[in-house]
Amino acid sequence: MTRHVMIVGCGRLGATAANALLDRGDRVTILDTDAENFRRLRPRVRLSMYVGDGTSHEVLRRTGIESVEAFIAATGRDTTNALAAQSARTTFGIEHVVCRINDPTRSEMYERLGLTTVNPNQLLIELVLDAMEQ
Amino acid sequence: MYVIVVGAGKIGFYLTRELLAASHEVALIERDAYVSANAAEEFGSILITSDGTEPTVLSDAGAERCDILISTTGQDATNLTACQVAKYSFNVPKTMAVVTDPDHVPLFRALGVDVTISTTELILSHVEEELTGGPFVHVLPLRGASSGIVSMRVPSGSPVVGQPVSRIKLPQGTLLTAVIHKNGELKPVVNDPELAADDAIVAITPPEKEDELWHALTGEAWR
Repeated sequence: MTRHVMIVGCGRLGATAANALLDRGDRVTILDTDAENFRRLRPRVRLSMYVGDGTSHEVLRRTGIESVEAFIAATGRDTTNALAAQSARTTFGIEHVVCRINDPTRSEMYERLGLTTVNPNQLLIELVLDAMEQ
Repeated sequence: MYVIVVGAGKIGFYLTRELLAASHEVALIERDAYVSANAAEEFGSILITSDGTEPTVLSDAGAERCDILISTTGQDATNLTACQVAKYSFNVPKTMAVVTDPDHVPLFRALGVDVTISTTELILSHVEEELTGGPFVHVLPLRGASSGIVSMRVPSGSPVVGQPVSRIKLPQGTLLTAVIHKNGELKPVVNDPELAADDAIVAITPPEKEDELWHALTGEAWR
């Protein structure tokens, strides 16, 4: 089943997620404030790219947030991601929302508030610790 | 009260000065070293140069015993995060955020920010009132209640001029809170002062009762 996923932030995480979702056959709409960042993406039929602020409800609406099934906030800034993700969930009622939070002390709070967070640093730390055990 | 102010830009700077003048205890947190250096001379040791959205920073600033956190930066995302961390990680009883994008106001309230101050909406409401000649200045919307604080001037031809305020037939759900004489003197409503032409009144009213309130104070229909 193909889904329509919106991604805010086309850094390494956002772009890699977009490419992986497109490979699976999903439709992807991706936003970034800097058009330069779209160089990380291969041009694809099911891919739409927009230059814009993913925390602006106006921008989210214009780029079609009301028709997406999932939302990923993947910029490098925790505060931006938290605002974008909570907008997607609370203002636009999107069920599947994932939010990148780098600061582990904050991600715990967002989890308590019901937001699904991903912490790349934490994942890396766990991998490092696992590797040291072996 | 103990107040933490996040952001030492224009709003945070003058707000902190006023709070200190009113004998409140204040901690001011500013991330940008350049902005912080400008505020350092004025505020000295109460200024913390760090990121006010980080739990460790707020903890060091004494968020556990803080009564109000006010986030005043120009970034909505920063202000939301500071308020949420204060409220949900430190149980700060009251959080206030400056909101630049008016679209964010309902979201911020839904996410637990107690008071939102939309500079855009504030200025816009004044502009609209200037342009349309609308009667009320909307001073502040009240969170939780569906009412807001409004202000207006009593016109000289009004039937309430010369009457004590207790004689005004206010619409239900509306509260007259203050009368300010045109020389600036505050007349407490409990003293039941007589209204004079050009007195400013401050009232709390739900928006749908504004027509009735206007009628009660001017004898004229609005709209």
